[in-house]
Amino acid sequence: MKCDWVQQNILFYVYNELEDDARYEVEQHLARCPECATELKATRKLHATLSQMPVEEPTPNLLAASRMRLQEALETTRPGGLWRRLILEPALWLRQIRMSPALAAAIFIVGFGGGIGATYNFISTRGGGNGVVTGSVESGSGISSTNQPLESSAIAGIRSVTQEPGSNQVSIKYDTVSTQEAQGSLNDQRIQQLLLYAARNNYNSGVRMDSVDLLTQAPDDSRVREALMYALQNDTNPGVRLKALDGLSGFVRQDPQVRDGVLRALISDTNSGVRLQALRLVEPMKTDSNVRSVLARLAQTDQNVSIRTQARAMLAQMPEMD
Amino acid sequence: MPADSYAVAITVGEIFRPRRAEQSGNQNPIMRGSLAAQGNRIDDTSLIREAQQGNRAAFEVLVRHYDQSVLRLALHLTGSEADAQDVYQEAFLKAYKNLGSFRFECSFYTWIYRIVTNLCLDHLRKRNVRKEDAPVAVDASGEEYSRIEQFADARSGANPERDLMRRELGRKIGTALSALTPRERMVFELKHYHGLKLRTVGEMLNTTEETAKNTLFRATQKLRTALAEMR
Repeated sequence: MKCDWVQQNILFYVYNELEDDARYEVEQHLARCPECATELKATRKLHATLSQMPVEEPTPNLLAASRMRLQEALETTRPGGLWRRLILEPALWLRQIRMSPALAAAIFIVGFGGGIGATYNFISTRGGGNGVVTGSVESGSGISSTNQPLESSAIAGIRSVTQEPGSNQVSIKYDTVSTQEAQGSLNDQRIQQLLLYAARNNYNSGVRMDSVDLLTQAPDDSRVREALMYALQNDTNPGVRLKALDGLSGFVRQDPQVRDGVLRALISDTNSGVRLQALRLVEPMKTDSNVRSVLARLAQTDQNVSIRTQARAMLAQMPEMD
Repeated sequence: MPADSYAVAITVGEIFRPRRAEQSGNQNPIMRGSLAAQGNRIDDTSLIREAQQGNRAAFEVLVRHYDQSVLRLALHLTGSEADAQDVYQEAFLKAYKNLGSFRFECSFYTWIYRIVTNLCLDHLRKRNVRKEDAPVAVDASGEEYSRIEQFADARSGANPERDLMRRELGRKIGTALSALTPRERMVFELKHYHGLKLRTVGEMLNTTEETAKNTLFRATQKLRTALAEMR
């Protein structure tokens, strides 16, 4: 009977899935039962045989291609979390409104106003029936504001609601989300500033692509070049990285920092298109020792066949330097 | 408007997340995402929360924490680069769409693997209907190659006889594995080839550790018989 139990558990013993006490019992039994020891041997042999079917690591190319395909699909997909929040959070707000009439009044008042992270003072008069401090929802109507209300803006969050002691002055600090439009020529400083911001920060890779594209028209500006270098190194979208690379192409010769950035992309970019373009850009500079050592490394060990052969060809055409 | 003028529409300010404004301050969420990618210092919990708030960069960092092992599993199970890529794509898109329903009740690893194993099970069921052979793999460009042959070449060097034996054994293992039910194959795959604990396997497959144990037992018995018959 003991043998039955042990033989049922030998598999889990081999796979290291037994509790300590069960393990101990199995080991004790195996030491004195030749029949069960034979079973253990057979199980181990089966384990070893099955282990001969290897688990391969996915090739870097497969991994890169999968990542790229996913990124493209993500651009047109909305996360579930956002919708959930948009539905749930107003409900939470409403609960708060029911709980706290004073805060409710404040939020309704803020609903009519606007401004970017600014503080506005709402003046209310008790007699007029529109004071915040009265704490009734109806009193939220007819606010007078020191600034004109920006009705199109949405409120992103209330930072603080404070009332000056002994008065009816209420101060509310809040953030807004509002879409604004700026127009101007490429030389306009504000346009440039927005483009630089967009190239680094925008969620939408289409906007980043357009911004980087426009920036490549003025790469002489050091800030622009810096933004292009940033995009080349950090942008998640290979199209944007490729654009940035194009914008930097004129500076590989004269700016060593740009050259190093392009070399970095050549060595470690996940996209083979970007890498091939980087390889093309550094070709005229192959007499540079840094470029040469990178080419030599690629020619020997790179996973990508076409990069390996191109690097090899470039090195072969090179005049002996030393 | 002059010819070199451009209109740029940009959303100014924080994204819509009023309750988090106090905790996280003004730092741009994209920037935090990329910092996490560089330093790997921010753990999954904060990445998940950010991704749940709509930060795609944070989600992409999360993907990179797990995608290699997901691809490895899909590749070994399906034996085809194209199929593995499909599983990868579908799994992470599904995760992205359902991220809001992740409630930290299990680890994110278990959660993402639950999605992947479900997709792989669907794949195995479909293949069982088509009755295809396992050890022949198809690469991304649709070209067939034998994973066993590649393995044999790499390991045995200039010994053709041993090479042949390995190839033969590989073919036998492949056939034996493909005779398992999809669920048996999955439990065996996760335990034997990916070294997961049966408790975790149970969680991933929405079942108990005991059931996973029984399935592994059954699978191994079948494999043993199949391989013995082939000898």
